[in-house]
Amino acid sequence: MFFHNFKYSFKSLFRNKMLIFWTFAFPIILGTLFNMAFQDIEKNEKLDIIDIAIVENDFLDRDSTSLFNQVFLNLGEEGSDTQLFNIQYVEEEKAEELLSKNQITGYFVLEGVNDSRVVVNRSGINETVFQSVVGEILQTQEVFKNISEKWVNDHVQDLTKDTKAGTENFDSWYQDLYTNIVQKLNEENIQIQDMSSKNLSYTMIEYYTLIAMTCLYGGILGMTAMNQCLANMSHNGKRVSVAPISKAKLVLSSACSSYLTQLIGLLLLFLYTIFVIHVDYGNNLPLIILLSLVGSLAGLSLGIFVASIFKSNENTKVGVMIAFTMFGCVLAGMMGITMKYVIDKNIPLVNYLNPVNMITDGFYALYYYDTLDRYFFNVISLVLFSLLLIGISTLCLRRQKYEYI
Amino acid sequence: MSIFKAFLKVLKSCKGTIILYSVILIFFAAFNMKAGDNTSNFVAERPDVFIQNYDKMEGITESLVHYLEGNANIVPLKDSENAIKDAIFYRDVNYIITIPENFRQDFLEHKNPTIEVQGTGDYLASLSEMYLEKYLKFANIYRDTFSSEEELIKNIEKTLDKKTNIQVTSKLDTDHLAEVANYYNFANYSILAGCVFVICMVLFSFGREEIRKRTIISSMNYKRYNRKLLLSNALFACLLWAFYVLVSFVLFGSSIFTTHILFYMLNSFIFTLCALSIAFLIGNLVHNREAINGIVNVVALGSSFLCGAFVPVEYLPDFVLNIAHLLPSYWYINTNESLKTMEVFNFESLRPILINMGVLLLFILLFIMLTNFISSKVRKLHS
Amino acid sequence: MKYVVEVKNLTKEYKNLKAVYDLSFGVKEGEILGLLGPNGSGKSTTINCLLSLLNFSKGKIQIFGKEMNPNAYDLKEKIGVVFQEVAVFEELTVIENIDYFCGLYIEDKKLRKQYVEDAISLVGLEEFKKFYPKQLSGGLLRRLNIACGVAHKPKLIILDEPTVAVDPQSRNNILDGIKTLRDQGATIIYTTHYMEEVEILCDRVIILDKGKIIASGTTDELKSLAKLEEKVTVEVLDLDEKYMKEISAFKNVEDISYCDGLLCITYKKGKNNLVELMDYLKANKIKYHKIFSERPTLNDVFLELTGKELRD
Repeated sequence: MFFHNFKYSFKSLFRNKMLIFWTFAFPIILGTLFNMAFQDIEKNEKLDIIDIAIVENDFLDRDSTSLFNQVFLNLGEEGSDTQLFNIQYVEEEKAEELLSKNQITGYFVLEGVNDSRVVVNRSGINETVFQSVVGEILQTQEVFKNISEKWVNDHVQDLTKDTKAGTENFDSWYQDLYTNIVQKLNEENIQIQDMSSKNLSYTMIEYYTLIAMTCLYGGILGMTAMNQCLANMSHNGKRVSVAPISKAKLVLSSACSSYLTQLIGLLLLFLYTIFVIHVDYGNNLPLIILLSLVGSLAGLSLGIFVASIFKSNENTKVGVMIAFTMFGCVLAGMMGITMKYVIDKNIPLVNYLNPVNMITDGFYALYYYDTLDRYFFNVISLVLFSLLLIGISTLCLRRQKYEYI
Repeated sequence: MSIFKAFLKVLKSCKGTIILYSVILIFFAAFNMKAGDNTSNFVAERPDVFIQNYDKMEGITESLVHYLEGNANIVPLKDSENAIKDAIFYRDVNYIITIPENFRQDFLEHKNPTIEVQGTGDYLASLSEMYLEKYLKFANIYRDTFSSEEELIKNIEKTLDKKTNIQVTSKLDTDHLAEVANYYNFANYSILAGCVFVICMVLFSFGREEIRKRTIISSMNYKRYNRKLLLSNALFACLLWAFYVLVSFVLFGSSIFTTHILFYMLNSFIFTLCALSIAFLIGNLVHNREAINGIVNVVALGSSFLCGAFVPVEYLPDFVLNIAHLLPSYWYINTNESLKTMEVFNFESLRPILINMGVLLLFILLFIMLTNFISSKVRKLHS
Repeated sequence: MKYVVEVKNLTKEYKNLKAVYDLSFGVKEGEILGLLGPNGSGKSTTINCLLSLLNFSKGKIQIFGKEMNPNAYDLKEKIGVVFQEVAVFEELTVIENIDYFCGLYIEDKKLRKQYVEDAISLVGLEEFKKFYPKQLSGGLLRRLNIACGVAHKPKLIILDEPTVAVDPQSRNNILDGIKTLRDQGATIIYTTHYMEEVEILCDRVIILDKGKIIASGTTDELKSLAKLEEKVTVEVLDLDEKYMKEISAFKNVEDISYCDGLLCITYKKGKNNLVELMDYLKANKIKYHKIFSERPTLNDVFLELTGKELRD
């Protein structure tokens, strides 16, 4: 009897085209769209090579070993690891034209030995970097000046004693200083140790919310199957209620078949996201499976809850499920991860109660965290969420005789 | 009039959908608004940085922190490992700087203490790194020359104070226009999802077999009936468009009453008409309530994702943009984007925009032709 | 005679409405009992109470001599129900639907297969086995609905308005099927608001109105309750007032009316009413096209008892 109902419940769920569309196909379509839209977004946030122009005029001597030349030569060297700029040397008029056509970020003009100007279109990140580099050149010149002054001050007695020796001394000292400073400036990452995590791809959250959405949408399957068991919810329910089979068995077997359907849909989505979209779920397979099972259980219990608590037609119930899930998705960061972070940070309770977030957060913890505390917290709270809903539903499901039908 | 009344009744049953998509649009626009800054002075980008300082706030340590505060937004975070980890993952901060205990002393004693950093790897993190490196480099260089800490700090700060002479050419309020463009880009989704869905539902309600039979046998001229229905739908679409334009006025204030806004309005109007023709196509093609729901969702989300309504166009990969050329939304959004940076309006600068609008009109024509073709086929099949 | 179903003093109250009030009746083995009454008279409520789907305020229900309750699986096994609403899975084919519902009763696969085939041939859906419910016309759908309810060959069959909105062909098929089931030994409770069906089908009828039994008995017994015996209709083109008066003076005539060329005369009990009328018409050379006499229907009985029509 258990298997009989299981088989037909499974069959009827699988043949329900609309249910299968929303629980199987829609997440995959959405995932594909995410992938197309987001695949370059993080690449684009990295610092690009910036197009700039340097104005060729009487003050610019491209052959000199001036600091300007050195720095721009260094940062503009094509193909090098440190390349920051793509530099064109042009007349000022041409530079203006390039700028007005947005073909360069800005241009640099020398207007005297120590006088220079940067021209840009607007404030922005590339402009800031450009300005900062030019600033650093000016500041480095300042460094030379300050140190020389100090040296001259310190050696003022020597200089007054023997001018010639002093000057020679200064020249050789300055030469040393120059090499020293330039060398220090080019030193990479002095005293800085980069501890950044490799797993920082925040678009992953989008895919995690997608999995979470699928888990909860799967609840619609459970809801539909459950509706067919309840005499006060559907005609079919009346029919099965007068059959000589225990309600507990019936409900359990319907729940199992919708759970299985749900898991098949989820498996397809996993296979698709892993092998086609290359989503990174971390590398702890058993824990990923555990989280998926628990997440789907949360969806299922939500479905059973909605089916048994609300007495209204099926369309309304589907509406409730979709609305709840989508709202949960928004809070969990599907429409912008900032939302999830802001809530996590300020009103964490809201997200603890949001199963979409708990599933998302579980994957996030597996992907990003080194410890498993957070993961297990999520899993346990999902289990509690499911148990609570199933508990309340059971109180309603135990009824066999109704006041109204 | 009775048709229009019935139309309103059907519309009323869809009010939830209309409200939903309008709220999403307004919510999105409000979420993306920044405090307006209308100066034409150069404003450097400021990365968001969190400083975890284990040293005492004295001497060189204090100077370093002050310098960073001057060039970055210091974000206060809870001092827990998880809070910091989350903050960097969700880009609440771009860069985390950990100053070790005894940094000041160790630095002055040439012990070269290490500063630990974590970054998001994006340009703002790179910028933060540039700032930090710059300070440390100068400090290193000066340390050999100036032995007293006081003099050292004074010189570093003096040096870092030296600013570039920077000149900004554009007088365009790009930030503000970007917000407007974002709003109209996102409206792509609201119009496609909301307007198209509602009109499809109306067509579905009026087009059900039983009702259609009834209208065909009624005394009203069938063509006149169709025309009235079309007119009602067009009126609804226009009202929705007018509402969205009005919302943009409310959100962005009077500052956008420029030539730009006229073009944004015109562009979105043409797009609304295009959405109307799409709705008629889908409404004539599909005769199942749930299937309409699915198709409209996929069309709206698909167009919006692929054409840059959600993700800025410049972030989309080329192959996606190539596909997007086949969708009306691409041309609509393309116009919004061009308007964003347009400074002068003349025939030369407007040409690409006019081409975009032309393409949209061609799409409308195509959809209308398809609708006619299909509905004539369908009618033949039934008779 | 053994009672298969016994209902005593059944009362079901909703907030301020008594849906069923102090209902008592019995169903004998092998009979078809008709529950007749207009919409909202409490038929479906009675059925749902019988099946322990609804809580009821007062009363006692015994089926096969045992108290009915939701867990009385031994009783449920012997009952087959066809509800008013079509209750089938849209996603399952005709044969799958029947197999599913039959499977809730019959575990043995081989036996079940046979039973499902029997049910299909009972309702004449052999050609539609692989069809989905959506592809069936209204009448065929009703037949499927019945097949799902009776496939497990129950001893007691409860049919709740199984012929609502069904074409005549399907209706006849359904009614024949029900007779077949009775002939195979089943006891049947049949609710409807079509008195014609009751007249054709039922051995005994209970007439319900506003949750109360207002009459019960065989159809003939019920009809004898009605004061009127005969209703004669004559198609006559032209009739003088004079004749009307004379006819109304006949013995047994209860009422007489004439409009649109139809003369309607209702008689109280009595004999030779028609003959007398024909003689009179002949004698006065009144030309008539048709003349026919009707026996009272249950509708007339109902009208008599409640002052309103069965169907509204």
